[in-house]
Amino acid sequence: MSAEEKIIEVDNLKKSFGENIVLKDISFNVKKSEKVVLIGPSGGGKSTLLRCLNRLEDDYEGKVLFEGENVNGASKEKLRVLRQKMGMVFQQFNLFPHKTVLENITFSPIKLKLEAPKIAVAHAHELLKQVGLSEKAAAYPQSLSGGQQQRVAIARALAMRPEVMLFDEPTSALDPEMVGDVLDVMEGLAKDGMTMIIVTHEMSFAQNIADKVLFMNDGMIADSGTAEYIFKKTNNTRTRAFLSKVM
Amino acid sequence: MFDFLKQYYPVFVEGTAQTIIISIIGILIGILLGLIFVMMRLSKIKVLSYIARVYIAIVRGTPAMIQVMLIYYTLSKVLEVPQIQFLGSGLDRVIPGSIALGINSGAYTAEIFRSGIISIPKGQTEAGLSLGLSDRTTMFSIVLPQAVRNILPALGNEFISLVKESSVLFYIGVQEVTAQALGVGGTLYDFVPPLIVAALIYFVLTFILSQLMQLLEKKMGRKYLQSN
Ligand SMILES: Nc1ncnc2c1ncn2[C@@H]1O[C@H](COP(=O)(O)OP(=O)(O)O)[C@@H](O)[C@H]1O
Ligand SMILES: [Mg+2]
Repeated sequence: MSAEEKIIEVDNLKKSFGENIVLKDISFNVKKSEKVVLIGPSGGGKSTLLRCLNRLEDDYEGKVLFEGENVNGASKEKLRVLRQKMGMVFQQFNLFPHKTVLENITFSPIKLKLEAPKIAVAHAHELLKQVGLSEKAAAYPQSLSGGQQQRVAIARALAMRPEVMLFDEPTSALDPEMVGDVLDVMEGLAKDGMTMIIVTHEMSFAQNIADKVLFMNDGMIADSGTAEYIFKKTNNTRTRAFLSKVM
Repeated sequence: MFDFLKQYYPVFVEGTAQTIIISIIGILIGILLGLIFVMMRLSKIKVLSYIARVYIAIVRGTPAMIQVMLIYYTLSKVLEVPQIQFLGSGLDRVIPGSIALGINSGAYTAEIFRSGIISIPKGQTEAGLSLGLSDRTTMFSIVLPQAVRNILPALGNEFISLVKESSVLFYIGVQEVTAQALGVGGTLYDFVPPLIVAALIYFVLTFILSQLMQLLEKKMGRKYLQSN
């Protein structure tokens, strides 16, 4: 694949909840290996946008294409395949509390018969090593710290061998001392060439990792550009006001 | 006072066995119907949800005795059950009776399941779906196991009340323990001692059942280390 290939294409995406228009005509592309960071004030539609990409939010207008395939129009079966290719990491981790760390990671690949159980388990151990939690395979999620749980959640998403990883404020629910470990794992993924779309309030992390920053405000991409541009050069008054508040 | 037991204990043993059998069948049918109706109740398809609501409302709003008789007389018209005797009663009574218990319990069980399912955070479903799991797998492997663990105490109560309520099958001639006690009372011209025996039997049965449920709760809870 050429580096310029678009892996995700969003065209004129509109989404409302009842009367509340939450996304107003959003368009952008994500290229293979690109790191796109979404920033902006709370309530601006960042989570909704991310959730439209794998259709956790349904009933939207406009087009979302993943590797050229229409997510919005996909059949149930097709959608499930597309979701496997888009790993998602949530603010609240959402690990399965009745399963061990290892089971959390291996459940889907085994259930969906993507991998033989033995291979899935070996892969899970590799991923646990990658996120620095090799010794926690047999633990239940409740016995882990938030930062550890989030790293398991990342490993669980990676177990599906996704093409893209979506992160929705992965460190916002964490105690400050846990944030670094999670960001380190994400940086490692970025170095390995993973395509990533990240909603975050960690501005120095965003500045480091982003190839492209989208500033979302009031359901629109109010400003966008390289990290250098958004954090240093933009003249957009909203962007500057937001950044001055959070940095 | 309880001398009659020397002569009549086989009757009580038979009645107790009958009560256990109809309760177990009733509980199993109730769980099955509860699962089916909770899925319908929570379905996005309006008709299914509506049917489930109607079923639940009717069962909860009418006396169990009338339900049992209605089901018995209706089923006996459409269902050909051989007149085989089973623990002192015809299967043509035991089978519709147990089904009626299950239909009654199913409504309550569906509501218990529903309370359990809606108590599980939406994020669990979303995590399952985002991994590419189907709605069904997400429900049965992710949400329900957690829900069941949360509702075990309520389910236990429902099972216990079913065991006690199974005495309504007396009205359609199933020789369960209440019916047997009344029969013995009739021959003795004294209802109190045999009814006390029947009460004790119910108490022991429900006590054992509640102990079993507690054991199950412990077993399912242990895995989680800390409670959540
Ligand atoms: N499930 C929902 N139902 C109704 N409104 C919602 C729902 N999810 C989000 N919203 C609304 O959409 C808007 C954008 O929310 P969100 O995408 O979560 O913003 P952000 O992630 O940028 O904080 C908010 O006004 C929020 O109240
Ligand atoms: Mg959000």
